[in-house]
Amino acid sequence: MRYLLYFFRKHYFYFLFLFLEVLSLVLLFNFNEYQNSALSRLSANVAGSVLNLSSDISEYFSLKRTNKILAEDNANLHSYLRDAFYQTDTHSYYHKDTLYKLEYKYISAKVISNSTNKRNNFLMLNKGTLHGIENHSGVIIGNRIVGQIVSVSQHFCWVMSILNKDTKISGKFRKNGQLVNIEWGGGTYRRGEVKEIPKHVVIEKGDTIITSGNSDVFPEGLIIGTIDDYTIAQDENFNNATLLFSTDFNSLSYVEVVIDMMRQEKDALKASFKSSN
Amino acid sequence: MGIVYLKNIGRFFFLVFFQVLILNNIQLGGYINPYFYVYFILLLPFETPRWLLLISSFLLGLTIDLFMNTPGVNAAACVLMAFARPFIITSISTGTEFQIGHSPSLRNQGVKWFGYYTVILVLIHHFGLFYLEIFRFSEFFSTFFRVVLSSIFTLLLVWISEYLFYPKGQ
Repeated sequence: MRYLLYFFRKHYFYFLFLFLEVLSLVLLFNFNEYQNSALSRLSANVAGSVLNLSSDISEYFSLKRTNKILAEDNANLHSYLRDAFYQTDTHSYYHKDTLYKLEYKYISAKVISNSTNKRNNFLMLNKGTLHGIENHSGVIIGNRIVGQIVSVSQHFCWVMSILNKDTKISGKFRKNGQLVNIEWGGGTYRRGEVKEIPKHVVIEKGDTIITSGNSDVFPEGLIIGTIDDYTIAQDENFNNATLLFSTDFNSLSYVEVVIDMMRQEKDALKASFKSSN
Repeated sequence: MGIVYLKNIGRFFFLVFFQVLILNNIQLGGYINPYFYVYFILLLPFETPRWLLLISSFLLGLTIDLFMNTPGVNAAACVLMAFARPFIITSISTGTEFQIGHSPSLRNQGVKWFGYYTVILVLIHHFGLFYLEIFRFSEFFSTFFRVVLSSIFTLLLVWISEYLFYPKGQ
């Protein structure tokens, strides 16, 4: 026993090294469980308060661009106002609306930390559970996609950017509705990869890819990007293409979180379907 | 002795904030991410107890991880680097006397010694970091490219700071 203790004391450096290394790797490999763990919430709180301060300062540098985006959005919304329409009927009808039920709620949030040059990029937003943010919600800017929320604390949340190796978005061609998968292969933040395009689909440069609405994260019809380049595979069943993202991930300052009001219902339906099978 | 501790603790926080608030926001092409915060591990005094070396490096990595939402990646790379440090120092030193309370520096150890020391340790850290971050072999060569480019920039920052903060004749 004495020799064992002596052995440990003599080589404690190696044991301590192994212990710390294993501890780090356990954290790394449990990333999925980590995503809403106490440590992750601590990360959101600690990093949030510091990054919030720094973004309060750097925010001023992007005011001009933010204003421009807001003005464009305003102009866009103006065109949907009643005043923008020519009235063909002089009668107007009012009725309690039962045809439409609110499905998506949008919460504006400020980006307080963002990166585009890592292999796995994350954003932090200054809204949390107090503001009604729910985990797994989609994040968009205008009608373009940004990412998905992976962890929420009281005041902040972490967003997994599209620029991440774990990203897999269900998209489709706007022209014919053919479903495809979008991934990001690293490198430049301007381009992504379109996977699993069926052979019979005719691809052209400039084709627009939009969200399919199949994934519960993003509503249907948001613009992902346009086809930039493609290869026709000879011996496989699917073609691949590169896509130019419509979102400029490097200049995000204000984004919107999409809260799916019917998520619970959808999840319950899925669970009941799974359990009955 | 207390002043050495204070200096290192101060450096710890300065480097963490410099990394998180400034370096992480700088865009140098899609491939280059300097991780200058490892300067802390490089500059720990020679006679730092080995357990303190490992623990402080682990805490440094973990703090960076908290800010970047990458649990364990930076911590693992830092611990690896701290583990390698004593072996690198003994293997490249040729009986040079190290003064008590001194940190490795360009001024005291010379260009050749400091060059080997920083290049080997920064490469160990960056290799560990980038390959753990990606954790697949399909992107082996693009990751390799990123490791080399990022290491060059980290080393550049380390050497510039040596010249700025520890000039000759001080």
